[in-house]
Amino acid sequence: MSPIPATAGIGLRFQHHRAVVETKPRVAWLEIHTENYMGGGIPLHFLEQARRDYPISMHGVGLSLGSGEGLDDAHLARTRALADRIEPGLISDHLSWSVNDGTYLADLLPLPLTEEALDVVCANVTRFQEAMSRQVLVENPSSYLRYGHSTIPEWEFMAAVANRTGCGILCDVNNIFVSASNHGWDALTYLDALPAKAIGEIHLAGHSKRVLDNGAVIRIDDHGSDVIDEVWAIYAAAIERFGAVPSLIERDNNIPALESLVGEADHAAAILSRLGPAQHDAHAA
Amino acid sequence: MMPTLREVQAAFAQSLLTGEPSGTLPYLVDDHEIAPADRMGVYRNTFVGTLVAALRITYPAIERLVGEKFFEGAATRFVRDHVPHAAHLNTYGGDFGDFLAGFAPAASLPYLPDVARLEWAVSSAANAPDALPLDPAALGSLSEADQGRIKFQPHPSVRIVHLAYDADRIRKAVIDKNEAEMAGLAPDATPFWLIAHRKDLDVVMRRLTDDEARFSQALMAGGQLDQILAPDGMEAQIALLGEHLATGRFAGYSLD
Repeated sequence: MSPIPATAGIGLRFQHHRAVVETKPRVAWLEIHTENYMGGGIPLHFLEQARRDYPISMHGVGLSLGSGEGLDDAHLARTRALADRIEPGLISDHLSWSVNDGTYLADLLPLPLTEEALDVVCANVTRFQEAMSRQVLVENPSSYLRYGHSTIPEWEFMAAVANRTGCGILCDVNNIFVSASNHGWDALTYLDALPAKAIGEIHLAGHSKRVLDNGAVIRIDDHGSDVIDEVWAIYAAAIERFGAVPSLIERDNNIPALESLVGEADHAAAILSRLGPAQHDAHAA
Repeated sequence: MMPTLREVQAAFAQSLLTGEPSGTLPYLVDDHEIAPADRMGVYRNTFVGTLVAALRITYPAIERLVGEKFFEGAATRFVRDHVPHAAHLNTYGGDFGDFLAGFAPAASLPYLPDVARLEWAVSSAANAPDALPLDPAALGSLSEADQGRIKFQPHPSVRIVHLAYDADRIRKAVIDKNEAEMAGLAPDATPFWLIAHRKDLDVVMRRLTDDEARFSQALMAGGQLDQILAPDGMEAQIALLGEHLATGRFAGYSLD
């Protein structure tokens, strides 16, 4: 297993499979979407090649850590099988749910932030860690709505999951900005509440803005554009608080040429080296 | 009384699948200038959009044949009645060809369902589990009697499909963006068989005659060789068996 270094990496996307393997771009590590490499065949072939040259982080979107019905054994087993094969430096998924009654709802859906949900998430994260035989990271989501019966601020909920289960946190600073904007939260209050020693990775991304008929703006996390200045500012604040941790700019739509991704990673790496004295090693248990 | 997590998730899922948010709205905060129904709409759009995007990856030739807008309309309609049951979305959408066969706005393009069925075969072959192809030399030491008892295991990527309307030629011309070839195509409704499998980093395919398809299907279903070989076509069958072996369409064999 190659640990993920505390600098910037890029996401490995299908469009760049051949270019990454053939040109070996100058980046420190790669992150994959776990679900894209389940099964086998041609995608996995490229990943097998890429992992010879780069540490790999496995970032899942489908485990549904917030599902009241518990985790899907088959999905856990597929994740473990891929981890055994790829030997990733990090394994992560989200504070969200996406499965109900066996149907996959193809999105990272928001949880009511209650004591019941906290118990459910902690039980599922513990099960995830046991199935992987190691620590995992849990990412804070973007959200567009809140539930009336929520009783725990999201930042406290994230900290509680890390404290109770021993998992690490994947801090997505774009998600903090998007949710803060949509709900009137304060991004720095959010950052301050997260336990610094639990932060194992940071995500940045672009998002879109939708203007509703009444002129109100809703921000949507679509990973389809450049990171905006406000999000870079939260990133800098995060690095000042958490030290240098592995950082990734996510692109899932309007995916630019490989060189552009590498350039974006260089930008993050420059901030890391300027602001982030290496505080602790990546969570590579 | 506070709703349980399961109650909230069941209501939310129902809203997402139907596009009708009313079952979820009572649980949501309404204290801002953005209405809860608009907030739910973001999730509904992402749900549909993610699945349409997954179909777009699997069915590139269909999208080029009908155009982006038509494809999006058809895929959105498909998503309404076909929910995924697993998060690895390369397993999603295998019924799109059958759906297109009954999709009235596509009725003027009779070849569309078969092009889609072929694209599904190609996609599922590309993503099928890995297995080492059976080395033909492994059979060399078998006695003649044992050779007759062989049951082959297909490579996980092998797909045998029954198509019509020159779906393979149409798909190739579209993927290659070969406009001259496209213009010259006069889709013929005559049905044909096709076998596809993954070889190195490509999915390769070729047509089969009815006899070849019957023989190949029996082999791939694990039938015992001496019970499948037909006395009057044995020479051609042995030759096809040799091709299956040489090109890696088997992953193993057994003698029991």
